[in-house]
Amino acid sequence: MTNSLYIVLRVGDAEYALLAVDVLVIEAFTGATPVPGVAPHVAGLVQVRGDVVPVVDLRVLFRVPETPPTADSRVAVVTSAGRRVGLLVDAGREVVKLSPSVWKDPPELVSRQSRGFVRSIAHVGTRLLMLLDIERVVGTEALDGER
Amino acid sequence: MNGPVDTSDFLAGFLVEAKEILAGANAGLLALDTALEHGKPTLRTIRELFRLMHTMKGLAAMLGVEPIVAIAHAMETVLRAADRGEMILGKEALGVLFTSVSAIAARVRDLAAGRTAVAAPAELLASLDALEAGSVPLSTVGRAPTFPPEIASKLGPGEQEQLAAGIAEGQRAIRAEFVPSRERAEHGVSITSVRQALALVGDLVKVIPITKASPSPGAAGLRFVLVLLTLATDEDILRAVPDLEPDLTTLAETAHPSLIEPLEAEEDDDVGIRGRHVRVNVERLDDAMGRLSELIVSRSRLLHALDRLADAGVDVREIRDVLHDNARALKGMRGAILGLRMVTMAAMLEPLGLLVRGLRASTQRAVRLEIEGGAAELDKAVAERVWPAIVHLVRNAVDHGLEDDAVRRAAGKPLEGRVRIRCGSFSSSMLEIRVEDDGAGIDIARLAARAAVPLPDDADGVLELLCRPGLSSKDQASTTSGRGIGMDIVKRIVVDELGGDLAVETIRGKGTTFVLRVPLTVAIVEAFRFACGDQAYVVPVSSVEEVLNVDDLPSASAPRQRPGTPTVRLLQRRDETVSLVDLGALLGHPAAARPKALLLRNLGVPLAFSVDRMLGQQEVVVRPLKDPLVDVPGVAGSTDLGDGRPTLVLDLLELSARMDSLTGYAP
Repeated sequence: MTNSLYIVLRVGDAEYALLAVDVLVIEAFTGATPVPGVAPHVAGLVQVRGDVVPVVDLRVLFRVPETPPTADSRVAVVTSAGRRVGLLVDAGREVVKLSPSVWKDPPELVSRQSRGFVRSIAHVGTRLLMLLDIERVVGTEALDGER
Repeated sequence: MNGPVDTSDFLAGFLVEAKEILAGANAGLLALDTALEHGKPTLRTIRELFRLMHTMKGLAAMLGVEPIVAIAHAMETVLRAADRGEMILGKEALGVLFTSVSAIAARVRDLAAGRTAVAAPAELLASLDALEAGSVPLSTVGRAPTFPPEIASKLGPGEQEQLAAGIAEGQRAIRAEFVPSRERAEHGVSITSVRQALALVGDLVKVIPITKASPSPGAAGLRFVLVLLTLATDEDILRAVPDLEPDLTTLAETAHPSLIEPLEAEEDDDVGIRGRHVRVNVERLDDAMGRLSELIVSRSRLLHALDRLADAGVDVREIRDVLHDNARALKGMRGAILGLRMVTMAAMLEPLGLLVRGLRASTQRAVRLEIEGGAAELDKAVAERVWPAIVHLVRNAVDHGLEDDAVRRAAGKPLEGRVRIRCGSFSSSMLEIRVEDDGAGIDIARLAARAAVPLPDDADGVLELLCRPGLSSKDQASTTSGRGIGMDIVKRIVVDELGGDLAVETIRGKGTTFVLRVPLTVAIVEAFRFACGDQAYVVPVSSVEEVLNVDDLPSASAPRQRPGTPTVRLLQRRDETVSLVDLGALLGHPAAARPKALLLRNLGVPLAFSVDRMLGQQEVVVRPLKDPLVDVPGVAGSTDLGDGRPTLVLDLLELSARMDSLTGYAP
């Protein structure tokens, strides 16, 4: 199998990966317009390249202690079933090339803790990368029980 | 006219008719321009023009507007003569007719503004009369110009043909003179170098050496008379070839060539405006939309009441089904009303013909405008917003895109530049408009250097570079464009405001195409801007009855509220009790003084929302928020106020319908 390109996103101490083809654009985060009455993990709206997209704060979704956004904070705009959604992360500049065969099923503990957001994991050198299930991350089932 | 007549009703109707007639007349004259140039038949157009001016004359007579009657009558006479073949309409005649239409338009504007129309200009009427009398020389299209004997005697038949063709094409035949001298020769300036220099500004048709008594002692008695075909101005020529004698003489010229392909003929045009169409005031459409919005809001209240019934154990299934069908019908109705607001691209782009004609004169370039896909339709509100963007792109194409004649000739391109606008549907909800020119293409490297940024590596990067505010690839702003304020505004309108797309394709030496994608329809509303905390919001003006100063009104706290919900107070205003809700708190902002309040009335019940500051009022484009993550009640969509960040458009009526669940207080 040929290698694929993945974008690495850091949320707190953990590193997550997305297939580069699923990521439209990554831009610096300069604040989102809050929308009243949305789920707590929805940071609000941002305008990226003329598109108005909702932003999911992965730090809230993954229950990482929240810190104010820094200069490294990024919004990665992903596509899922025709929707465009932004993911707010602490850093997102790295691109890696991996063989699709490195991905393994996540161990029980990770599965439970991630509540379905992590599809598989890979050990790359000393790093642990977790492949995100985009549909689950931007999905609305996450809204149940959160409001 | 006998006795005083109340013409106010007539005036409104007249103005509407006059506007259509003038548009038709301009379109007809432009079509005549093209037809004459390409030797196509003109009779039908002439008859149509005659009919239009005859109608205009009749309407103006009914209203008693003598000046318009006079001009229309004179035009009628000219057109009748042309129809009968008694005179041939040429470029000069067309020019007079265009001016006449302008003169009528100016007087219609006067009437619309409540002024009386000024008398028809005597010279204009005289020109029209002279046309009819045939005493103005007919156009020299196709006929050989006559030259002074010193030149005429030296021109061979081939050269005469070349000159006639060049003039018909729109160039000027110029006589220039070069006097060689020893000083000039020492500086390398000779007839050869002058010929080379002239070749850059035009076609040198003939060089005639003349031996005469020298004007200055010591110079050889030789001088050269040069016959040049050119599109350049005298100043341009003298600048390019400074060693010419400063007096240039124009030997012959005619107006520039045609520039419009006729817009696509609509099949039922002949049926006439009164055929199967009605004219509707846009305000009535907006009114209809407003009433539909009320229906939609009341439906939402019904749903809510239904929920309460269901909670109380009532079987509401059948009612829900009815409401479901109701929703579908409302959606269909909305689509139908929006459909009423659609205009065709051909109608929207019609004024471009006049624009390009003017550009052609001011830039001295031969340019043709083509429009394809004119039958495509767009919401009038979108069309109005996108129009200035298209105007800018067309100006740019003519001014920056098209190269000088010499360059075009060298590249094997026709001297006449072509700007083409193509419209077609991009998706079920978007229209694609392409503005293409066959010019020089964009010099990306030069732009990047000028902006001191690295060379963009993809199409997005090129577009970003083009849309930087203040950037212009022209060294000096020309009168038509080049001030560099345009492209960023184009992007702002198409992408940020309308929620569409903008892309550019450009090939050096071949040309540039701008691709615009715009939604077929958008919601545009007049809105109040206000702030809570550091966040700005907008709310449609139509939903707000009044803006109150809270502190001016006596108030008391509301009874029986649910703990943890935003405080509701009761205001005494006139003889009503108005519930006042802290909108800032509802929107998630910390407690603060909220001295202003927006008063709404929901089915007669007054309700006010307090905010920090009112910021103003403006028209905004509402982009619906479709994503389920942000589809919440009370938010109608987002808009761009020009700062690049989404600003929420609030639906306070919807919020007020959910008042009891939000605050535990039912007004």
